[in-house]
Amino acid sequence: MALNDIKEGEGKSFVGGTHVPHYKSYTDSIAIERMAIPDEVVVHLSQHIGAPCEPLVAVGDTVMLGEKIADADAYITAPLHAPVSGEVTAIEERPNAEGGETMSIVIAAKGEQDAYQPSVERNPDDMSAEELKEAIRDAGLVGMGGAAFPTYVNINTDQPVDTLILNGAECEPFLTCDHRLMLERADELIKGAEILMRCIGAKKTYIAVETNKLDAIGVLDEKLGGRDDMEVVPLAVKYPQGYKSYLIKTITGRDVPRGARSAALGCIVRNVGTTFAAYEAVVYGKPLIERIISVTGPTVPDPGNYVVRVGTKAEHILSECGVDPDELDGAKVIFGGPMTGLAQDNLEVPIVKSTTGVLVLPPEMVREDMVYSDCVRCGLCVQRCPNWLYPNELSILAEHGVYGDLEDWDIWDCIECGVCAYVCPSNRPIVHFIKRAKPIVDEL
Amino acid sequence: MADRLIATPPPHLKAGNTVSEAMRDVIIALIPVSLASIYFYHYYAAFLLVLCMGTAAITEIVVRAALKKRHTLGDLSAVLTGLFVALLMSPGSPWWTAVLATILAVGVAKELMGGLGWNLFNPALFGSVATIILAPWFGFLSRDLSGLNVNFGPIDAISQATPRAMLMQGASLPDYGTMLLGFPGGALSETSPLLVIIGGAFLLYRGHINWRIPVAMIGTVAVLSLLAGGDVIYEMLTGGLMLGAFFMATDWVTSPINNKGKWVFGIAIGALVAVFRFGVGATEGVAFSILIMNAFVPLIERLTKHPSFSEPAPKPATEDA
Repeated sequence: MALNDIKEGEGKSFVGGTHVPHYKSYTDSIAIERMAIPDEVVVHLSQHIGAPCEPLVAVGDTVMLGEKIADADAYITAPLHAPVSGEVTAIEERPNAEGGETMSIVIAAKGEQDAYQPSVERNPDDMSAEELKEAIRDAGLVGMGGAAFPTYVNINTDQPVDTLILNGAECEPFLTCDHRLMLERADELIKGAEILMRCIGAKKTYIAVETNKLDAIGVLDEKLGGRDDMEVVPLAVKYPQGYKSYLIKTITGRDVPRGARSAALGCIVRNVGTTFAAYEAVVYGKPLIERIISVTGPTVPDPGNYVVRVGTKAEHILSECGVDPDELDGAKVIFGGPMTGLAQDNLEVPIVKSTTGVLVLPPEMVREDMVYSDCVRCGLCVQRCPNWLYPNELSILAEHGVYGDLEDWDIWDCIECGVCAYVCPSNRPIVHFIKRAKPIVDEL
Repeated sequence: MADRLIATPPPHLKAGNTVSEAMRDVIIALIPVSLASIYFYHYYAAFLLVLCMGTAAITEIVVRAALKKRHTLGDLSAVLTGLFVALLMSPGSPWWTAVLATILAVGVAKELMGGLGWNLFNPALFGSVATIILAPWFGFLSRDLSGLNVNFGPIDAISQATPRAMLMQGASLPDYGTMLLGFPGGALSETSPLLVIIGGAFLLYRGHINWRIPVAMIGTVAVLSLLAGGDVIYEMLTGGLMLGAFFMATDWVTSPINNKGKWVFGIAIGALVAVFRFGVGATEGVAFSILIMNAFVPLIERLTKHPSFSEPAPKPATEDA
């Protein structure tokens, strides 16, 4: 397919899903900027899938930017590094985005706050695959698209992997951080992909991008210059196009049975942000102390894509973008995108390595007045479910507490993307019902 | 700090479609044929339409109050059921049969089954067919209530045999064009197949109904009519086939939810219609066929359930297996 002929909306796709308004124009043409460093950062000791870290510092210690402050002995984990230079003022439970609390290292920023200075300058070509993986492990990389799975564990596979898929679909509305990264950091992204290919032994990389980002597709395609081992794959604009299993099926045609790790399918999917971080980790020894997030919403005075230190609180991020926290009555502040992101009622919550954005939905976009009613079996959720489930049945069984039948309707296959609840004319909180039922079904 | 941030679960965006919007569109889709019925049957059709819709609303309020539930008139489904019942009535039927059919439809088939979404049978069809079956036992009502009869003057068409009956008896019907455009004799909805089709096209365009059921049902009737030696065009244009195919068999609640199920459902209804028409010689074939297949929907759904995306592919049979 000639990439310069492709039009918005065209491209490969999975079966199912739905069109959601993009709302991307608030930020998609704004270049990435650095956000001012906050006075205090809160670094959760558990911000990845796997074992939580143990602190390597104590209250009162002085830490330097990028210094390792926490790690764990477990295999599935990722170390943490100081996002600012300063003093450890507390190690205690602090609020998290899920509404609970997580043990955290609190650091007060002190002294000169410079941008990160490279500790090394390495040429990846001179490094062995093992050295590359070590650099990624040491930098504390995790999946930055939202899953937060430790990257080292993901790429340290002895399965033969032939394909790397870079996930630049960014199918969540409002978010544009991956879009801007592909546009502005294309060279580094491609080098990052080369590094990951060497780590896993892949022969081919596909960069998956939805065709509402034609400029990014154009830039990447031009930079690739027709090389054989990397290719941009334009994807139809449809939610949830960027879900890992669907990308594998759409791009490679391979089935993704439940429980199968993608490496077992000869395929590894990495978010573009993670890939860029891998480049910085390997070449400059830079740990994951900051990331690009979209701060957006129709009423945000100064929306954009900002490089923000891990552990920065929502409060700081919003006020840096001109939002007055006292003017948010009846609004929603969402960590992540509007389809799967979590609404916050406490602006003390800090961002973690996998936070993709901070979104402010004004009261007129918050439909709290709507009640829900019984399922009328319109079939929209069944038609649109990207995992080909029966959300209608799941929601009715979960609503009425018939937990024993939920496994027959494959509740564990639900990826909680939110498509069913989005299209439901009875306004049923289908995903909420399913999420609430999962732990109960697990206990049965 | 903000006083009141809203923190409800995702997704935080919602498509604009609602149940009441869909019901409103179905009502809109039925306006043309309702007007045609008034054109042919004058005040009597208008009276039946108002009577049934009013009865439906009152039944909904009363039954839900008795069940201690808040009324759901806002979803428009009760009024729509009343409209359907009226359109299924023959203009000559006594007014109390329309009231009885509506009460059975909204009160029994819908509300006593648990309300919108829980009913197994299409409420309007259930009400109408139950009334046809029960009416002989309530003949005394025609006598006792005769004092309440409203005289709307003579309507020639009412005394005329229905097109279905004419077809059965081998009487000659008007030409295809007239039958398509509008010809009185049957139920209110049977006056103009063309206007029903236009309404159905509107619902397809608005995405409220799935094309598979009408295509499967009409296609099956057409093929079987051809095989049975009937006049395919007349079979299409009589007996409320179009209303059944576009408006009744496509009812969300009482039809299968997945595409394969919709095919099975549509084909089975079509086959039953053909059996009723060419085997039994009944005139209410469409209504009976849909109601019968309504009962089979749970079974159809179980048999046509598609596997999850994550279902592992079945293992290929080994040679020694």
